[in-house]
Amino acid sequence: MASVPSPLEPGPNTISGQKGLRIPFFILLVRKSVRLLLTMLLIPTVVFFVLRVIPGDPALVVAGFDAPPEVVEDLKVKLGTNHPPLIQYEEWILSLAQLDFGTSLISNEPVLKLILERFPLTLSLAVAGMLCALLIAIPLGVMSAVRRWTLWDYGGMVFSQIGISLPSFWLGIILLLIFAVKYPIFPLFGGDSPWHLVLPSIALGINRGAVLLRLVRTAMIEELGKEYIITARSKGLPELAVRYRHALRNALLPVLTIAGIQFGYMLGGAIVLEQIFSLPGLGRLILSAVFQRDFPVIQGGTLFIAAVFSLVNFLVDLLYSLVNPRIRVG
Amino acid sequence: MKHMMKPIKLITTLGLLLVLIPSLSFSRGAREEKPVRMALSGNPDTLDPQKTAGTLTFQVTKSIYDTLIEPDPKGNLVPALAEGWDFQEGGKRILFRLRRGVTFHDGTAFTSKDVAATLKRMQDKNTGSPHGAEFSLIERIETPDPNTVVLHLSSPLAPLLATLASGWSAILPAHLIEAGHDFGSRPVGTGPFKFKSWVRDNQILLEKNTSYWMRGKPKVPGVEFRIITERSIQVQGLLSGQLDVIDMYDAIDLPILEKNPAVKVEKVLTSLVMVMAMNTSRPPLSDLRVRQAINHAIRKEEVLEVAYGGGIPVGTFMDASDPYYVDFTSLYPYDPEKARALLQEAGVASDRTLEMILPQNYEPHVRAGQIYQEMLQKVGLTVKIRLVDWSTWISDVYRKANYDLTVIGHTGKLDPDSRLANYGTDKTYVRWVHPEAASLITKAKSIMNPAERKALYSRVLEIMAREVPFVFVGTSYRYVGTRKDIEGFRIQPKLDAYDFRDVEVR
Repeated sequence: MASVPSPLEPGPNTISGQKGLRIPFFILLVRKSVRLLLTMLLIPTVVFFVLRVIPGDPALVVAGFDAPPEVVEDLKVKLGTNHPPLIQYEEWILSLAQLDFGTSLISNEPVLKLILERFPLTLSLAVAGMLCALLIAIPLGVMSAVRRWTLWDYGGMVFSQIGISLPSFWLGIILLLIFAVKYPIFPLFGGDSPWHLVLPSIALGINRGAVLLRLVRTAMIEELGKEYIITARSKGLPELAVRYRHALRNALLPVLTIAGIQFGYMLGGAIVLEQIFSLPGLGRLILSAVFQRDFPVIQGGTLFIAAVFSLVNFLVDLLYSLVNPRIRVG
Repeated sequence: MKHMMKPIKLITTLGLLLVLIPSLSFSRGAREEKPVRMALSGNPDTLDPQKTAGTLTFQVTKSIYDTLIEPDPKGNLVPALAEGWDFQEGGKRILFRLRRGVTFHDGTAFTSKDVAATLKRMQDKNTGSPHGAEFSLIERIETPDPNTVVLHLSSPLAPLLATLASGWSAILPAHLIEAGHDFGSRPVGTGPFKFKSWVRDNQILLEKNTSYWMRGKPKVPGVEFRIITERSIQVQGLLSGQLDVIDMYDAIDLPILEKNPAVKVEKVLTSLVMVMAMNTSRPPLSDLRVRQAINHAIRKEEVLEVAYGGGIPVGTFMDASDPYYVDFTSLYPYDPEKARALLQEAGVASDRTLEMILPQNYEPHVRAGQIYQEMLQKVGLTVKIRLVDWSTWISDVYRKANYDLTVIGHTGKLDPDSRLANYGTDKTYVRWVHPEAASLITKAKSIMNPAERKALYSRVLEIMAREVPFVFVGTSYRYVGTRKDIEGFRIQPKLDAYDFRDVEVR
């Protein structure tokens, strides 16, 4: 039997207590899609103009540090950075409308190709990192909640505090020094096999898991205190079934919302970890593009990330409204 | 709520698949003989030698392509794809006799047509080569037979041979140029190694060219460049045997490398001139006495030692090992008393503050900047430091001269003209204007007689040493760390490109 929370209790994702009209799923879909499109257009536009304001020109990077000024001028013409920003913006939007992300000014490669080359690794790292985070957060969080104010709980909280405070680059370096140098179990650099993902996923997992652990604990404590749990217990259900089949299921809803958002962030590439572990991910592509002022790559990259991030949130939202129709509230 | 678990299971399964599927495509087979593994500190922009000025590109392309001429380990220009050359008509005609029996990696024979097509592509504005201007005096290229190329110049150009020996003059196959081949990601040359694959920001794999024109070379089955931006990871990679060679741009890691018996470190003099540049168009730096005072305030040995891991002090705008170098270090010895007196004479107030802009991505320059700040404080000049990213540095400091003081190293050049061009005019970032120096530099460019040329450059270097638009600090060392069993690795003088042709694993 599935637990049914009282209808007066707000679901984890509704605006608390608000009684709204039920909106047809189709209208919800349209409304969310429009919002999605606006976000995707707004973010790269902001990025576009910020890039035009900060100093630095890709022509200077291509020309090299001591090229004569004439050479730089020629390159500006060739790269198109001599046009006024508004014209450049117009050109960019027009080519985007034709699904053309442009070509890198530095490497001459199509931007979309560069992004898609990197995405599998970034995606693998995000998925593996998220799995690690959940594997850490759920058991430890449940343990903390069930055995509140015991050594288990304190242990979990101390772990979480440390995990949140440790900078991921430091954790990454320590993991490398131990498991790639002192005991060379894992490779020190590169991204050519699943082995390369183990240490960065653990570093990412500890970092994100520490945050999720607290959420799991809080949500679980809240659920365990609810009336339906008392009902379940009084029905004589075994304690394990009460905890895991009833309380945990409901407690996971808010956790998954946050995990979804974090997953979206991770898809933008974990720049610091990619740098430490020499992984060819999306984060490093965009970081070096920023240093080189490779405008099309920065713009295309941020657009791509914005799109993926919004899409993940969009899907999570839809998933919830399908799972729990009470969430379809205006 | 029962169906909640299903999506979770599905997501987990999908997640595992997503982790495993991409990794399958990455796996590769074992090799019998191992290639040499070297760390590269960044991803090259492109592998098309004509489309960049980035050193990282030439460090890699040296193994893929050849040039007509190349510098030997001492920096002398020696034959490569050209067996010999003659200057005719006072330097307005250069005839190259090409090597026979050389083939490109795709099996086609190397002929004079390839040289002509390469140079024409370089001159073509559509190529957009940052080095294109160096070829602008070539008016006509003649190919009387497959093994002869004649260049006709509009006027004699002494630096041209050095240009032809540089990485950007690598010879590309004519038939692929015509076909519009993408040399940037699939390079084809005549070099000692063939291009195999490049995963951007990860690795570049090269395999031995078994029909290379230098008999018996290369000696290793391949080269594996691993792109590792973190300095400490490079060092750990070498220490733990996961890398064979690292090129250290920062001497800070020397102590731990020297302690390890499986690793050896070679110290090589670079061709850099480390400087603190002064914007001479801004008061008080426009006053020679102030620039002299600043020079007297700096203890060069200390800066070289602490910031750059050691080096040889210089007194002018040329690296210590260059054949054109002249020693002027005695002109402005360390003398804080004199520095204070000169500042007073120039009427510089004691609360005068100068801004020093430093490129934050170059740790050694940032360290040097902090040392200068302290040394200048001792003679009564207050320096405020601001860190900027490299692109901002190039655009604001180097191009627009929007600064008082900055710290940088000028890389080596095979020909003195490349280092000195434009100095004495307001086109350089020190904005130091000196018509005599400028005209001597222009004149020396077309003089073909080496002794006569040297006399002109010596005069220029002396003017610069006296006028001090910079604090010329010195030429630093670079350190190459290799595993003990690796022999024969070289870095080309001035060009800094990596040469693996003689590398052997003992």
